[in-house]
Amino acid sequence: MSNSLTSVPDEHLVQASLRGEVEAFAELSRRYRDHYTRFAVRMVGNRDDAEDVLQSAFIRAYRALARCREPDRFGAWLYQIVANECRTFVVRHARREKRLARDQLAIQAIAVEPEFDDGDTLADVQHALLQLDVEQREAFLMKHVEQLSYEEIAEITGDGISALKMRVKRACARLREILEEVHDV
Amino acid sequence: MSEHPRENDDVFAERVASVLRAPERFDDDFERSLVDAIHSDRPIDRSTEPRRGALSFAWWSTPRRMDVSPVMALALAASIAAVAALGASNLAPARIAATTPSIVAQAASAPDTVTLVRFVFVGPAKSVSLVGDFNAWGADATPLHSTGVKGAWTVSVPVPSGRHEYAFIVDGARWVPDPYAPTSSDDFDTKSSVLMVGT
Repeated sequence: MSNSLTSVPDEHLVQASLRGEVEAFAELSRRYRDHYTRFAVRMVGNRDDAEDVLQSAFIRAYRALARCREPDRFGAWLYQIVANECRTFVVRHARREKRLARDQLAIQAIAVEPEFDDGDTLADVQHALLQLDVEQREAFLMKHVEQLSYEEIAEITGDGISALKMRVKRACARLREILEEVHDV
Repeated sequence: MSEHPRENDDVFAERVASVLRAPERFDDDFERSLVDAIHSDRPIDRSTEPRRGALSFAWWSTPRRMDVSPVMALALAASIAAVAALGASNLAPARIAATTPSIVAQAASAPDTVTLVRFVFVGPAKSVSLVGDFNAWGADATPLHSTGVKGAWTVSVPVPSGRHEYAFIVDGARWVPDPYAPTSSDDFDTKSSVLMVGT
């Protein structure tokens, strides 16, 4: 990593990247990668796919860099691409997820569950999250996990605030239903 | 969950979210892989330099032609009328398969860096949307409109010059590349169509 780049503003790194300086884009990646890793992992459900999705999103961003109209807001623009890439991945892999979900239900049916402790485990909650439709999952993660405002979410997703509020509300209701079922088994 | 008294949504959401906030990180191999992928990819597309003015208006002010076959003209009457109002003119042959779901992307050349491209999907569907690098792969960003002729959907999109990848999402879930266009596979072996504009 080039220490000389760490204090360079985003817009200068974007311009350098457009001139073909790949290391400048790598610095942008280092700068924002951690912000989006957790979101991607939660959206797609595992680290391996999340890493592939993020790589794909960052490469798409590099290819489309000339279309970043506000280079000083590169992070927000990149978030849009990451969110879309995650959403696209989920849509593309819906069939596979359904198959895995069926497999998991079969495993649960035959497994001897240990006693539940008082809290929800990450695996429980992630499993429940993956059963939400992609828009509810995205809205819940952005609002409650990434703690974005509805205005920020609207900017990233292009959706209206009232629709986003409804998605979050429905996501909460569905998550509650799923987790209650799991814990009552 | 049954051990907790019924919580209101905010308390419930916070408790669930606090679990999901567990950090996730990738190490610096991420950038090494990214740089390798970029080096092995084509060079950045410089034909899409930042545009002067808003994309959505860039092509309105430039002369352009739209090539559409008589069959397509019938199928796309409604949308052609809209395009004609914006100044499109000449009609010429284009390709379309009548018996199978088919998709046609037609580029209308323009002297600017932005070209109006008509995307057409023909096949059974309740909804169709266009996703591509030019709309950040937004599944809701570019819906196609039914032409009024059964099974024909269309949308015209201003696209910058250069190489682009796109596909259609049918009924909100089915990923459909253009069977008549070259395809490109991503890391997940999912095929997208390739469109060259202005080159």
